[in-house]
Amino acid sequence: MKFSVAFVMTLMLASVSMAQASVLFSTLERTLVVEAKIKEQEISSGIALAGVSHLVISWHLNESFPVSVGDKYVNVKLRLCYAPVSQIDRGWRKTNDDLHKDKTCTKGIAQQKYIFSGNSTTWRVTKDVPGAVYFVRAYAVDAEGNQLAFGQTTDKAKTANLITVLPISGRTGNIDIAAAIFSAFSVVSLTGFLGLESMRSKRTSK
Amino acid sequence: MSSNAEWQEGNSKGEPGSSLHGVTGREPVFQMTMATVGEQEATDLKGRKFALPVDSEHKAKTVRLYSVAAPHMRTFHLSWIAFMICFFSTFAAPPLMPVIRDNLGLTKGDIGNAGIASVAGAVVSRLLMGTICDLVGPRYGCAILMMITAPAIFCMPLVSTPVGFILVRFFIGFCLATFVSCQFWMSSMFNSKIVGIANGTAAGWGNMGGGIVQLVMPLVFDIIRRDIGSEKFTAWRIAFFVPGVLQVMMGLLVLTLGQDLPDGNYAELKREGEKVNDSFKKVFLYAVTNYRTYIFALTYGYCFGVELTVDNIIAEYFYDRFDLNLQTAGIIASTFGLMNLFSRPLGGVLSDVVAARWGMRGRLWNLWIIQTVGGVLCIVLGLTGQLGPAIAVMLIFSFFVQAACGATFGIIPFISRRSLGIISGATGAGGNIGAVTTQGIFFMSSKYTTEDGIMLMGIMIVACTLPVIFVHFPQWGSMFLPASKATEEDYYVSEWNKEEQSNGLHHASMKFAENAKSERGRQSPPRSKGQAVGVDQL
Repeated sequence: MKFSVAFVMTLMLASVSMAQASVLFSTLERTLVVEAKIKEQEISSGIALAGVSHLVISWHLNESFPVSVGDKYVNVKLRLCYAPVSQIDRGWRKTNDDLHKDKTCTKGIAQQKYIFSGNSTTWRVTKDVPGAVYFVRAYAVDAEGNQLAFGQTTDKAKTANLITVLPISGRTGNIDIAAAIFSAFSVVSLTGFLGLESMRSKRTSK
Repeated sequence: MSSNAEWQEGNSKGEPGSSLHGVTGREPVFQMTMATVGEQEATDLKGRKFALPVDSEHKAKTVRLYSVAAPHMRTFHLSWIAFMICFFSTFAAPPLMPVIRDNLGLTKGDIGNAGIASVAGAVVSRLLMGTICDLVGPRYGCAILMMITAPAIFCMPLVSTPVGFILVRFFIGFCLATFVSCQFWMSSMFNSKIVGIANGTAAGWGNMGGGIVQLVMPLVFDIIRRDIGSEKFTAWRIAFFVPGVLQVMMGLLVLTLGQDLPDGNYAELKREGEKVNDSFKKVFLYAVTNYRTYIFALTYGYCFGVELTVDNIIAEYFYDRFDLNLQTAGIIASTFGLMNLFSRPLGGVLSDVVAARWGMRGRLWNLWIIQTVGGVLCIVLGLTGQLGPAIAVMLIFSFFVQAACGATFGIIPFISRRSLGIISGATGAGGNIGAVTTQGIFFMSSKYTTEDGIMLMGIMIVACTLPVIFVHFPQWGSMFLPASKATEEDYYVSEWNKEEQSNGLHHASMKFAENAKSERGRQSPPRSKGQAVGVDQL
């Protein structure tokens, strides 16, 4: 029975995983200009604190392209992407040309409607952003969500204008206290029990 | 001494209706229950009747899973649940790894080191646990270990660096030694004919903890995030209180409800002179001079060690290779561990079934076949690139790898009677060494992708199972060699020297040798000296 359940599951999953055709990053043109600033410091590269700092991201169509280039663009998706230094030895952040498999830009910032004159957004760095070095990328997508073009705050080698995010620790005072209390309980109750049993056995052997 | 008298009366020199079934080879030997024709109702030291039918050592002759009767079935349930919770705690981090690795900024190397650390601590603790069980009993061993490692679990919510993470996983991993106390306890409570299924079921259900945790931790994490509204990086920390609290509770239950031997606890038995205080040096010596200890430590490293490795990597493997979310990857990963519900017990049952017909030789062949097939399936798993087939292969692979673990412990109780604790511990430690080695070679660096690592692990399983061919028992034979003229008494009593024998220290081993005659299989002529079956030769 367990096997037939597994079989049905696999059929379902197989049908779901046959998704749309993949877009390759190398085929995308860099038609957008993107800038990101850490609001509190008015600089475009530096240190941002998760949960505290804000990023001001502005984008527009590069003037050297005709406006007609953006005819098919419907939305612009802004994403926070890992710089190469934060991808080393971390296969789950690996860059892949196939955008379906690409893990460089896993954190979504915002999605805005496309207009050639551009737009901007202010985003507070959320508390679940890991401590790493980032840049911001904008994908121009069509109605189905397929990427058509992109823009990013950094250069091709992804070394300029990088933002370092300092993460939250996740620890709270309550957790620390609870951990101490539970640990103490464990050790104390064990010693108590053993002591009781050895006292009891001494009593009966007398 | 009262128990001596009882036992001598029970010895009937082969008369019909005696308690020595199976010795002549002409009476049918039932697999799960033994007829207790003509046997008096056995009672323990305090004169209470046992709820289950027992043999001359007061070990139960059947396993009644639905019962919690003291001491046998209550021990069974306490033992496997305690072990399961330890497994749960040791593998509580892997299903949450995608969150933890972001919180602590871990690299693949860090995660690999932590995985190794989680199973490395138990190498030492399993060896020590064997000795502890031999000396103070499995009840104390199990409970003390669980409650001492619980603080380590409570330290996990406080971790903020990769080094801290590795250290905490190392200390939590010590509690996997409850495996040894579990197996030791089962071997003390259940007769040799059903020791395979008793050990296999208890350990298998314990190992299920590695599967259950992959389901439960993502769920708990989710509940804490949604309903309490915690941040991701806080929620996983709070989730870790679940294994910690469970472990403390279970430790207390084992202390209050457990019992070392069918006749009572070690302390009581020592006082009344029933339990002989053995010498650690001797016990250790007989374990390390027995070559079978080393062979089984190695082969166990490639069934149980592989199981531990897979517990550590499988959720992340499915998450990363097939692009699933945390909960889905957790569900799939959990099925690996959950197969233990029946696969490890079945391995033990198969061992017992095969032994009824072919004795120990059957058990050895059974183990070799199951483990080798498991290795082949592991190779296939690494080569499978589609999600559906990968899940199917993983399920079948899990069955074979876990059944091999069960089959191994159908054999271990027969290697030695005196040093059972240390040998169980050494085998268990070997399992963990196998896990450490395998993770270190194949899953640490970015040299091999995880799928290649899995495939290479399969090749190593097949290679490291070959040594089973060399295990030979003089009284029963080996895979390719038949038995010699030696008897079970020769083998088990030889663990005691002349002086110890003249002090009567070897009586328990004699009783065991009697009960172990079942390992000759069916249709083998009796080879006991004279017509007596040896138990009264003092």
